[in-house]
Amino acid sequence: MKFLDLVRLVFENLGRRKARVGLTAFGVVIGTSAVLVLVSLAIGLQRNANEQLYGIGDLTQIQVYPNYGSEGDIRPYGGGGGGGGGSTATLITNQTLKDFAAIPGVAAVVPRDYFNGGLMMQMDRLEGYGSVIGIGLTNLTDLGLTARVGTTEITKTTVVVGSQVALNFYDPRLRPGQEPPAPPDLMGQTIRIVLIRWNQDGTETRKTIQARVVGVLEESRGEADWSIYLPLEEVTKWNEWALGRRINRDKDGYNQVIVKAADPRATLDITNIIVEMGYQAYTPQSFVEGINSFYLILQIIFGGVGAIALFVAAIGIANTMTMAILERTREIGLMKAIGATNRDVMSIFLGEAAGIGLVGGLGGVLFGWTAGQIINVLALAYLAGQSASQGGPPPSVAVYTPAWLPIFVVVFATLIGLLSGLYPALRAATLVPIQALKYE
Amino acid sequence: MLVQTTALSKRFKMGEVVVTALDAVDLGVAANAFCLILGPSGSGKSTLLHLLGGLDRATSGGIRVAEENIDTLDENGLARFRRTQVGFVFQSYNLISSMTALENVAFPMQFAAIPARQRKDRALELLTRVGMSDRAHHKPGELSGGQQQRVAVARALVNQPRLILADEPTGNLDTASGESIMELLGQLQREGATVVMVTHDTRLLKFATQQVHLLDGKIVPPPESAALNQE
Ligand SMILES: Nc1ncnc2c1ncn2[C@@H]1O[C@H](COP(=O)(O)OP(=O)(O)OP(=O)(O)O)[C@@H](O)[C@H]1O
Ligand SMILES: [Mg+2]
Repeated sequence: MKFLDLVRLVFENLGRRKARVGLTAFGVVIGTSAVLVLVSLAIGLQRNANEQLYGIGDLTQIQVYPNYGSEGDIRPYGGGGGGGGGSTATLITNQTLKDFAAIPGVAAVVPRDYFNGGLMMQMDRLEGYGSVIGIGLTNLTDLGLTARVGTTEITKTTVVVGSQVALNFYDPRLRPGQEPPAPPDLMGQTIRIVLIRWNQDGTETRKTIQARVVGVLEESRGEADWSIYLPLEEVTKWNEWALGRRINRDKDGYNQVIVKAADPRATLDITNIIVEMGYQAYTPQSFVEGINSFYLILQIIFGGVGAIALFVAAIGIANTMTMAILERTREIGLMKAIGATNRDVMSIFLGEAAGIGLVGGLGGVLFGWTAGQIINVLALAYLAGQSASQGGPPPSVAVYTPAWLPIFVVVFATLIGLLSGLYPALRAATLVPIQALKYE
Repeated sequence: MLVQTTALSKRFKMGEVVVTALDAVDLGVAANAFCLILGPSGSGKSTLLHLLGGLDRATSGGIRVAEENIDTLDENGLARFRRTQVGFVFQSYNLISSMTALENVAFPMQFAAIPARQRKDRALELLTRVGMSDRAHHKPGELSGGQQQRVAVARALVNQPRLILADEPTGNLDTASGESIMELLGQLQREGATVVMVTHDTRLLKFATQQVHLLDGKIVPPPESAALNQE
């Protein structure tokens, strides 16, 4: 029997018993729409959570710190003045940087350092503060940062500032009650960075550096927003001045390194390798993965609830098909008498069962999708009100249906129908023709 | 011989009781014969016809139809045999009520994987032949018994079988309708088909080239009255 003839015959047969097929398929509609809505809800919740997580950091970045061992001494350039830094410490030396770079999947290894001393910034009459980061690269785009104005390139005499740094500038002479000035536009301005060193005798020494702002970064909702970026060598020089001695990276190590993975999926593996090498490594990825696996479990549970409804529908299909085969026993006998093979009969009844599943699945997708849209409208109105009173961005979706889900659900419902029809169809196919023809 | 059975037996087990429907039947039907099977109710006429058409399996003995030992065929082989060699006509027509006359006639060709266009042409041709072309788009419920049986005959012819098996095709019909079905079958036989037909009606012997009388599952000589009728 030709496949197209089979399909046509199956749907003609289904059309003969519209009411019963419709009622049976309705059970499938309920099951599939339950799967669709519940799984979409779980996915929507996950997307929401991930949206809230946005800004937690670039998921390809791993923060690596030296392991100072059991001493618990995490002060850099330890006060011991080069006493060896403790035998248990795992320092990040220049060789270590090369080792990191050699790990498969690593795109970049960027050492960085803060200034370890007092720091103040001045611009015209304004004073400000910010966290100065010396960074071992020439262009911040390597860390996934982009400029809102100017450049992301870092040179000896220029700085690139984060998007919120301007907010830290204030007028120290401002009298109470006076309107504070608007945050300055730092772009193109020359700022004075005042470094402060506290000496042993209690006095302090100051040193002023002039630097021109050549770039303001796009908001990243991360640490970069409040940072001022300079070349690592500059900050190292300042630290040497504050410390009063030279810093040897092979002996003192780096305080912090950013290891960047080429692919976010590799981040966790690389992190584990670095931890095994004896360093402390952190990535927002591990946190995100934890959240994701929670939502995956939620999806499975929700999908399981829907699957129970589908299972009930499957019993309905099996029942309908068993009834149909009893009623159509003579027809089966006739088909065999006019030359249908067991396989033909089997295909026809399997096709009818799968057809009920398919029709129910399509109906379920339509119904479930509509229900999802309604839930979205209602839930978003409610959640927007909530977040307006509690602060924070409102969620953009409550129920999210990815394209694969309806396809999966329809295929799944069809397969369920097929499976439910297996036993009745097999019975139909193996009937002895004359007994079927004589059946009353 | 187009049909040859050797010691063909069929027994039905009903719990403890064994019913012997056919008991060592040796029957030969020549090609292009019109063979009538007669006998009282319960003598095994239908059972014999079903075995000849591969609708059931014998308990013992052999059946050879159209150079093929059908008792040794597997399920698929039997299905192919029914599809290509045999056309059935039943007493109760057995048309599918949701299909039109045309669709009913065309239906067997689906299992022969014949293209739709060809199926329709051939079905219409056969309906014309049995005089039912004007009712091609009617469903069985809208046709008289005689008309339904004509459609059933057309369906039996659709795959050009060598053997036409008919089990009391006129049993449900009035005399006139029965007569016209018999004319139709007679005409098919004259055109080359082999017809094996079961009936109670000895008046139909005028169509027969061969008669077989069954009693309690065995072939017996024709009774006086029947023999006379044939003369
Ligand atoms: N499926 C079956 N199970 C048990 N016994 C059967 C079965 N089919 C037929 N028989 C028995 O076999 C014998 C022959 O039956 P069959 O139907 O061949 O008779 P028949 O000659 O066609 O009778 P009728 O003229 O009434 O149609 C009968 O005794 C019948 O009871
Ligand atoms: Mg009978």
